[in-house]
Amino acid sequence: MSNSTISNAPFSEPRMSGMPMPATWPRRRLGGDLLIRLRQNIGVVTAIGLFCVIYLFYHFAHPKGFSSAVFVQNADEVFTLAMVAMAQTLPVLAAGLDLSVGAVMTMVGCLASYLMSGAAQGTPIEFSFGGTSHVLAVLPGGVIGIIIGVIICFVAGTLAGFVNGCVVVYGRIQPIIATLATGAIYIGIALFLRPTPGGKIDEDLNWALTNSLQDFASTVHIFDDGNAPWFAPLGAIPVPFILIVVIALVVWVPFRRSVTGRSVYAIGSAEGAAYMSGLRIDRAKLAAFTLAGFFAGCGGLFLAIQTSSGNADIPQAGAYTLNSIAAVVIGGTSLLGGTGGAIGSIFGALILRVISFFFRIFDIAPLLQPLFEGIILLAAVSIGALRVLRVKNTLELFR
Amino acid sequence: MKSVLRVSGLALASLLLSSLVSWAGPKIVSGPGANPACFKPWSDQTKFFQWEKKPGPYRIAVVNGFVGNTWRIQMIKTAKAFADQPGIKENIKEFKVVSTGTDVAAQLGAMEDFINQGFDAIVTIAVAPDGFDRIIRLADKNNVVVVPFDNILDTDKVMMVNEDQKEMGRMSAKWLINESGKTSGDILEVRGLPGNSVDRDRHLGFREVMEAPGNNFKITEVVGNWDSGTSQKVTADALAVHGHFDGVFTQGGSDGTVRAMIDAKHPFVPMSGEGENEFRKQIADHYKEGLKGMSYGQSPALVAISIKAAISALQGNVMPQLISIPIPVADYKTLKDGENYWSNLSANFFAPNQFLPCGVTFTAPEIMAQSEANLK
Repeated sequence: MSNSTISNAPFSEPRMSGMPMPATWPRRRLGGDLLIRLRQNIGVVTAIGLFCVIYLFYHFAHPKGFSSAVFVQNADEVFTLAMVAMAQTLPVLAAGLDLSVGAVMTMVGCLASYLMSGAAQGTPIEFSFGGTSHVLAVLPGGVIGIIIGVIICFVAGTLAGFVNGCVVVYGRIQPIIATLATGAIYIGIALFLRPTPGGKIDEDLNWALTNSLQDFASTVHIFDDGNAPWFAPLGAIPVPFILIVVIALVVWVPFRRSVTGRSVYAIGSAEGAAYMSGLRIDRAKLAAFTLAGFFAGCGGLFLAIQTSSGNADIPQAGAYTLNSIAAVVIGGTSLLGGTGGAIGSIFGALILRVISFFFRIFDIAPLLQPLFEGIILLAAVSIGALRVLRVKNTLELFR
Repeated sequence: MKSVLRVSGLALASLLLSSLVSWAGPKIVSGPGANPACFKPWSDQTKFFQWEKKPGPYRIAVVNGFVGNTWRIQMIKTAKAFADQPGIKENIKEFKVVSTGTDVAAQLGAMEDFINQGFDAIVTIAVAPDGFDRIIRLADKNNVVVVPFDNILDTDKVMMVNEDQKEMGRMSAKWLINESGKTSGDILEVRGLPGNSVDRDRHLGFREVMEAPGNNFKITEVVGNWDSGTSQKVTADALAVHGHFDGVFTQGGSDGTVRAMIDAKHPFVPMSGEGENEFRKQIADHYKEGLKGMSYGQSPALVAISIKAAISALQGNVMPQLISIPIPVADYKTLKDGENYWSNLSANFFAPNQFLPCGVTFTAPEIMAQSEANLK
């Protein structure tokens, strides 16, 4: 890290490209501002562009392209990976790597399969909730119970992330090793919770969250069961899509704009310089890992709801961890840290998934599919590396 | 308290109601089903399904999970060859095979995509025994026949095809007890891929007999992932730690386990394992030295029977909800070169591949000899 700090020192150009402009700088003309922002976020922009192209192509090729059912299916499939990719983004931005994201996801999923299963058979609290029986009949199984379950899952994920952060920050252990160890612990907890796959999640909760808004409304009986006229144009939007937008806007965007969030970028860019500038390095790292745990927990919670069960599947946890790293890279975040963002990772996850969508439409020999997937992935990652061709000074390559 | 009960009753009733309304799917009818020689019901209690008859030819998809071991590759090749076979080919308009890896969300997504694309049947090896409720609900709504096989689901809402995994465990245990003539001793159990139903059921069946009253076995459990390399490694570790075993039960990668025993100069002992050709060759070579082996086989041809069952269901035939395929077994007394194993072939594959009552006529060497290109 100190090396790159030195090599960077002569360049006055702001290198923390993911960062919003500090407020003290004079605002430039809108056009110029936009161009700079585009250039700073070239990785994300490329990912979005690539995604749009292949996703449009997918829909044109699909017999039921551009229909709500296809959007819903796509959103369901991508949600968990997108969450885990967002989780991975934060440690990567701080020039670390979190090998426990898949494990946290699995652990929270197993936890969720307990918390939301027994709700219908009545912990009485849920049903004695006032005389408002109508409200309770909305989501049979007790809305309150489910909300409490969701909160416990959020807390569990966040806590796991916080523990990761503590081990990294106070234990002074390299993130990759620290999270390898904690990941094994989380998988252990998951196996303890669910030695064999099982559990039950409210059927209507599963149906409501993995469908379009129309189905959601008709399952929870709001907006005239989703038949309200003003609601009609929104009906086709998949619920997971809404969830991901909400999580990105409510959690990620404010974090990125906060001092702590910008400190995370600064750490990845040049930790020594960030320290010398008086940034709270420890706090930022802790926050990065904690938030990663929260995102991974969200992914696990959704996976449990989607599958109506919990499964301490070790190969699956590993696959999610690896895919999350791939998604982060495709989404334009540098593995060296300091540039990129969680929004890009969402698109990275989307690209990763859409590639495999094609195998369902086109006739590609089944045993050659992994080969094609690898080639396309390599191409996708390489597009992000094209900037190397424009580098004027070899020293810039070290950034 | 009373009002609490009433409200919860209401909630439960509305839950039941809301789940009943949108579900179509197969009718539950009384048996017997079509072609009982091939589609044998699991037990007397097995329900029978009947779907609405659809005009053929059909669009069928195979959604595999994990890919990368010999069994899965042989399964995929069998699927392709079977779909191309006269008598089956005419019934299939479009045939797709995808592998989604160990990721359950991707497998659910692939199945849903095929439902959206308007496929008529989806044959699948589930990556987990749970979690497919949404897909079953969607499939029933759209009158799509979903046929899980091999790793089947813990549900009775779909038609499934399998061999009796518990029975495999039980017959393995009985074999070890009979061949060693002992009711106590050290036994090595090499388990399969953790977390799915095949591994669980074989284990449970095995333990059921081994731990029956009167038996006093000390069983050492290792995880071999049904893979030769992993099995060889974990067996070597177990031998290094424990020194001696009186019998071995492995769920797969059986040849790796034997190789580890040979490497460790462990004496040959009674053993039961999967249907790999390599394992059967080892039994044939070494049974005189004590490798009294039994080889049961989970046949990759289950996929062919599942495709056939899907077509039969789409044609409106009465089908058992759970179809039982007899377990192909060979032991050192019944092994016959060129028939249930092939001593001249070195590539590893799963020997049992023929199921004549179902019209699956090709042998394992015939399947494995075909390249991908020939099958297209």
